[in-house]
Amino acid sequence: MNVALAILWKDLISEWRARDRVVAMLIFSILMAVVFHFALPGRRPEELQALTPGLLWTAYIFAALLGLNRSLALELDNDALAGLALAPGNRGWIFLGKATANWILISLVQAVTALIFAIFYRVDLAPALPGLALVVGLGTVGICAAGTLLATMAVRTGFREVLLPVLLLPALFPVLAGAVEGSLAAVQGVSIPFESLQLLIVVDGVYLVVAFLGFDYVLDE
Amino acid sequence: MGIVLGLCSIAYAWAVITAPIDSMQGIIQKILYVHPPLAYGAYLGFAITGVAGIIFLGRGREDMDRLAIASAEVGVIFCTLMLITGPIWARGTWGVWWSWDARLTVTLLLWFVYLAYLLLRSFSGPSPRTARFAAIYGVLGLVLIPLNYYVIELFGSRSMHPENLQGGSLGDGMGLPFLLGNITLALAFFYLVFLRWEVEAQRTVAGEGSSAR
Repeated sequence: MNVALAILWKDLISEWRARDRVVAMLIFSILMAVVFHFALPGRRPEELQALTPGLLWTAYIFAALLGLNRSLALELDNDALAGLALAPGNRGWIFLGKATANWILISLVQAVTALIFAIFYRVDLAPALPGLALVVGLGTVGICAAGTLLATMAVRTGFREVLLPVLLLPALFPVLAGAVEGSLAAVQGVSIPFESLQLLIVVDGVYLVVAFLGFDYVLDE
Repeated sequence: MGIVLGLCSIAYAWAVITAPIDSMQGIIQKILYVHPPLAYGAYLGFAITGVAGIIFLGRGREDMDRLAIASAEVGVIFCTLMLITGPIWARGTWGVWWSWDARLTVTLLLWFVYLAYLLLRSFSGPSPRTARFAAIYGVLGLVLIPLNYYVIELFGSRSMHPENLQGGSLGDGMGLPFLLGNITLALAFFYLVFLRWEVEAQRTVAGEGSSAR
């Protein structure tokens, strides 16, 4: 447990000093908002509002891929990952520390991204905020759990960062299904369907367990 | 086993050719004798990959890792053929090449999972680490099968596939070719997996196997 906290603290401090990952993800997300404007020309504001949750999640997923890759690629410098593998205790805690750091950083980016989308696509987010925050928070747990595990593999293959999207995207379908459904309900001001939350919680739990146990084999040197 | 498979194929081809033509769907309905058996092969292959991966991780048995490669590759071939025959049949009977129907979506996603599995293997080169990575990813794939079905259950997506295909639901004269199709393709599946497994074992002996140290 202490290991997890130590890793979490280390990741947050190093991000605070460099501030490169959050900035990169953020710029990318804002660019996505602009890309969607050109990809969906001539839509009426109401139409775009209905599309916004889906667009938002598209930006979230790709920004997260960026951040997750970087988070593990950083550990390749000076063989830091091998050093982590030598740390005593269950390696699952190392996973939990890294995944939590990723969750915090990605959530931060997501909050700002949502604000940008709200401004660009004229969605009133204020009443939807608690529901949206819940759905996004839960969905991001799943992304970070599976993503941290798979990024640890991907960065050490011959293809490095390129492999993560191929590995991670098929695994994110259940997360997306629940998250987009829930976000849509939140934005439309109706109560979030219990099925979405239930699905997100189940997927989060499954991915956390698989990644916690599997990290032992992935980090093994 | 190869001879048995050859004989079965002949009987299977003959049965399919002589099977009655469906009064509603016409000749295209004959895809029935290929499509579901391919699906069983694909799912079987993916299940074996996942389970073999777990055994490999737990017991460190390298032969299980080789089995995982073999069944993943054959599973992907079966799944690819299923994804090719499916739209052809769909175009003929549903009028569209593709529909985001529950089973199609899940199968497509699984296909991607196991393609990614093979990519992961081929991009990392033969090493014990690759074998472990692949095993973990195979386990994730195994978890995804029920998870995806749960998603579909939850959101109540309609399926254009029949819920269960029993012998009685087939027309006269269609049962035998269907049965032969299942037997032949199941044999083909196991035969291919076995051959591939052997190849991988030989490779390990030659020192270039995927899990060779």
